[in-house]
Amino acid sequence: MLKAWRWWWGIVLAFSLLLVARVFLPLPFINEVVIFSIYTMGCSFLLGRVGFISFGQPAYLAVGAYATAFYLFYYGTNPYIGILLGVAAGGIVAVIVGPLFVRLRSDYFALVNLALAVIVFYLMQKVLAGITHGDNGLWFLTNIASTPVLDLGKPGHFFIFAWLVTLAVWAFYKYLDDSVYGACCLATKINEDKLKFLGYDNFRIRLLAFVIANTTTALAGSMYAVYLGFVSPEITSPARAADPVVVTILGGVGTLYGPIVGAFAYTGMKDVVSKLIGNWELIIGFLLVFIMLAGEKGIWGTLQPLFEKLLFRKKASATDDGAEVHR
Amino acid sequence: MDAQLLISGVIFGLSIGGIFFLMAIGLSLCFGLMRIISLDQLLYYSVGGYITYSVSLAAGSVWLGVLAGCAVAGIVAFAVERLIFRRIYERELTYSMITSFGILIGGIGVIKSIWGVVPRPVPVPTMIQWNVIGTEVPVYRLIVFALAIVVYAGIWLFLNRTIIGKAIRAGIEDVEHVEGLGINVSRLFTLTFIIAGALSGLAGGLHAPLIMVDPQMGLEVLAFVFMVVIIGGLGSIKGTLISAFLVGQVVSLGSLIYAPLAQMAPFAIMLVILLIKPTGLYGSALLKR
Repeated sequence: MLKAWRWWWGIVLAFSLLLVARVFLPLPFINEVVIFSIYTMGCSFLLGRVGFISFGQPAYLAVGAYATAFYLFYYGTNPYIGILLGVAAGGIVAVIVGPLFVRLRSDYFALVNLALAVIVFYLMQKVLAGITHGDNGLWFLTNIASTPVLDLGKPGHFFIFAWLVTLAVWAFYKYLDDSVYGACCLATKINEDKLKFLGYDNFRIRLLAFVIANTTTALAGSMYAVYLGFVSPEITSPARAADPVVVTILGGVGTLYGPIVGAFAYTGMKDVVSKLIGNWELIIGFLLVFIMLAGEKGIWGTLQPLFEKLLFRKKASATDDGAEVHR
Repeated sequence: MDAQLLISGVIFGLSIGGIFFLMAIGLSLCFGLMRIISLDQLLYYSVGGYITYSVSLAAGSVWLGVLAGCAVAGIVAFAVERLIFRRIYERELTYSMITSFGILIGGIGVIKSIWGVVPRPVPVPTMIQWNVIGTEVPVYRLIVFALAIVVYAGIWLFLNRTIIGKAIRAGIEDVEHVEGLGINVSRLFTLTFIIAGALSGLAGGLHAPLIMVDPQMGLEVLAFVFMVVIIGGLGSIKGTLISAFLVGQVVSLGSLIYAPLAQMAPFAIMLVILLIKPTGLYGSALLKR
């Protein structure tokens, strides 16, 4: 009983805070934050746990979003089935491209993944313009049928649904962190030779991590699609490829709650700054450079080099049996 | 497909390949020597294009504009290297990628606030057409191709015949040893970065008359430049040359057959090559710090 509570209390606290925040903050903002945090979780897991830097997240986001959009625009009306299809599509794409990508060196992985994001952008904007309607996007808000219990068409109900999904995602990632597999992921980042020596297959560990992370991203994509009721190639635009990476680093690489904190800070800043200055790109770019440079100087505690983070984690887990506390 | 279309397609491919080569060489050199992935080369490309636009509008000569674009891109690269990259050489490769992406996005924001978001046309410097086996071919495209070859020859001579170039080549093999020999590696890095930036600026300036300059132009060629670098192998200049012209031809001839093929075919080629050789055609597997 006590052990279960220890395991859960960090998550319960974080998500209670999120519920409380719901009372004080406008609904669109909090919805955005929740979806964004799921979006970032995949990237954070890849970067912090497996050591892959993924600029290609928008590609998987688009896969999820477009799978949902196609279903809701052309075939059905049930948003839940749409989301399930989006997640399935994301998983399938990740399984197809995964074996090819994860055997690349980290520098090539980053380049190829970004190239994939750009290609998906072209694919959605130009090549498949017949069914994606190009830059106009697919509008299907009116196609979404109201469902019993939780009506996803209503922002208020959507928030409860998104909150539950996020809670499930976090519980899942926390479980991963504590499992043998999570330890293997860390090991493959730090020293793959030693892991191989212990009898684990680096390739399989990485592939599984890749699939898990990108399925999570696709989930975020399909939730975006249902929430906004429209999808356009804009979501996979190369200019936005850095978004999840920025949020990951802002929140703290590889930490469990980093993505939520980062999504809060980032969405908040975006809201405030874009009211003052129209040119959001400029701010995001220089923010990124600033974070990278400041991180080196240790202004932000969360931006320490990755291995230090891991040391800290080890210490925390040795003393506290959990390591929940490092938000 | 008739011969005229084919010839003009090949010429188009040669010119676009030349542009890709000039841009990719910067990425490749920076990776080879400094072990950074410098996505901001795409920013210097845009800067080169915009300076070409402004100078050709003011002075009336596109060639002067290209020259100015090249110089300004080099200066911007110098400033960025001194202010930002200097601090991240020591760190993991991925940090340089994130930081340079930040510079790229931020730089695009700056370009938007200076020149606005509307695409601007740049006049083609020479409208002369040559007759190549019964096909009228714009000379400007041939000049672009020739310039790319000249730059390759220049880089080759620089790296093989001058002492600084030899130091750079040695640095690509092993930076610590070069430093041990008493060569100022930090100055070498700066020089390489300026060369890379200036070449990207040259690419932007030369490309500007063929397309319109707009703030997103760097992001539009991003995928192609990546494919060139990946197919050729990071850090290899010969590989970059070969893959640049390969991708150029695939883009140009592919679009003659079926337009969307222009974007998809290089990507497919890249995937196939990575499947066979994960480090690209001429990339060395030993390039690990």
